[in-house]
Amino acid sequence: MSVAAPKVDAIRVDDRGIWFRSSVDDVLDVCFDGRRVWSFWLQRDSDAAAGGRLAEWPSALVRFLDGSTRLSLVAHVSGATLYDEEVRLGSGDGRIAVVSPEGKPLGLDKSNRLSQTFDTRSAEDVAPLLDSIGEVLAAIREAGVEAFLAYGTLLGAVRQGALIGHDSDADLGYVSTHSHPLDVILESFRLQRHLSGLGYTTYRYSGIAFKVEVIEADGFRRGLDVFGGFIAEPVGDQPGMLYLMGEIGAAFARDWIYPLTTATLEGREFPVPAVPEKLLEATYGPGWRVPDPAYHFHTARPTVMRLNGWFRGIRVLRSEWERKHSSNRDRPVPDRPSALAQYVVAQEGVPERVVDLGAGRGGDALWFARQGAAVTALDFVPRAAAAAQALAEQGGVDLEVREVNLLSLRSTLAEGARLAHAPGDRVVVARHLADATNASGRGGAWRLCEMALRDGGRLYLEFWSGTPHRRREGQLLAAVPADTVVAELVARGAVIVHREETQVESAPGEPGRTLARLVAQWQR
Amino acid sequence: MAEVKKRVRPGLRRRVVDAVGGGLVSELLSRIDELEAAVEENRNLNLRVAELVDLVQELLVPVASQDRDKIDAAVAKFQRSL
Repeated sequence: MSVAAPKVDAIRVDDRGIWFRSSVDDVLDVCFDGRRVWSFWLQRDSDAAAGGRLAEWPSALVRFLDGSTRLSLVAHVSGATLYDEEVRLGSGDGRIAVVSPEGKPLGLDKSNRLSQTFDTRSAEDVAPLLDSIGEVLAAIREAGVEAFLAYGTLLGAVRQGALIGHDSDADLGYVSTHSHPLDVILESFRLQRHLSGLGYTTYRYSGIAFKVEVIEADGFRRGLDVFGGFIAEPVGDQPGMLYLMGEIGAAFARDWIYPLTTATLEGREFPVPAVPEKLLEATYGPGWRVPDPAYHFHTARPTVMRLNGWFRGIRVLRSEWERKHSSNRDRPVPDRPSALAQYVVAQEGVPERVVDLGAGRGGDALWFARQGAAVTALDFVPRAAAAAQALAEQGGVDLEVREVNLLSLRSTLAEGARLAHAPGDRVVVARHLADATNASGRGGAWRLCEMALRDGGRLYLEFWSGTPHRRREGQLLAAVPADTVVAELVARGAVIVHREETQVESAPGEPGRTLARLVAQWQR
Repeated sequence: MAEVKKRVRPGLRRRVVDAVGGGLVSELLSRIDELEAAVEENRNLNLRVAELVDLVQELLVPVASQDRDKIDAAVAKFQRSL
């Protein structure tokens, strides 16, 4: 990246994206009516097209592109304007407004996600965030851990004493005194429990990273990420390596972190590492001083493998399901039972207790509760069933929604123990669970069922059966062979008491699909 | 490993390399796969053991009390802290 303006010719803007001729790579800001909404690298983020390059509109932006705007392309580093024209996209007549449903201006962050980036917010707007950072740092300190500003928040403080305009969240980090991953994980669990005990809502991403939710003065729910790290013991003559979730692996000295010093962020003092430049170089490489609003991490493969192996794997597909349920939130709760729910009642009558495992929006769970069952709806996105729970409360029927993460041993064992001691004859119903998770999630599910059904009751399963394929991006349900599921259940001590597979027609031109139904029990 | 495999794609080049090396390249690629899987399995134990230690540490004392209400409350509190 150079401070001189990049040479870019023949720029054309249309519904597909921004077409241009250029042989250099540099980062440009795309501004609508003078406000940055996106940034891209000329070469990295474009493809060869019609003798030039085409940077397609990012998918998150497409739905807004229906109307007119004054579109300017500004080289981020040099500030040179390379294009500045009134353009019309789509067929709309109004001005293009990239805003939230509440009318708040949005921009794309470095991962091309729509967010309220800081360049859209006033000093007054960001004051609650600064309060939250201070509050969470103090709460972590109370638990005996010295945390500091990390990632983009540290970069902003050190480089410009301010939040970075194209950033949208705040990150905190700490480096454990432990040198073994297992101890570092236990410390992170303890830290999260401490914050949870103080009343904060928390959300775990991995063995050593979690989010703390702070409710700001205007009611905005702010998530601050707390990334754990540690310096692994040197092996032989190798230097000690700092591993900080989720991107850093670098030869590092502890005294570059502790004792912490302070830096100014938006006029307030916050703790930062003793030599913050060292951590910034480990995070963003030697070019960290040059701003890049479309920065992509190039984490070294050995670091990714270590961080994955030690700490990750407890939230596979979770973001995808959260997005799915988030887009479904205005749809009414299904008021008709699924075929599986009807089958359960045909076989068992209305069970005294139903555990709906992978309850999703809770349509079946609510229906069972309305039939008179005591229902526990379990899902790793429990808010998906919030509407069903509200309807249950209104109707005075027995439905409790709880979070369970089948990829986490703690979560599975604790819920299994709870269900095992719940009174009443029970069934566990899991409709499209086996095909909604991976082998590890299924392992957790069968473990939980074994605990819940050890004194009797049956598991009713329904899922798409078929040759396993790698999930396509965005694909939530992926067929799993019924034989595989049967083998997993049998290995866990279950007896299969019923198995059927039904061919289901698909849309014209699509291959038919097989729906498997299994009933299992553990009663010996 | 994926990059290594891309560079030594199955096909003519790979067959030539294998023929010259007496199948050594294919064997080494499989052994790298096996080693990476074994390392991954070992690393995964950290989180698994930490989860178990945490669960035991948090619930053993209430369970030892043999007080049903205390145990139920401890399990519910534990779940909320995950």
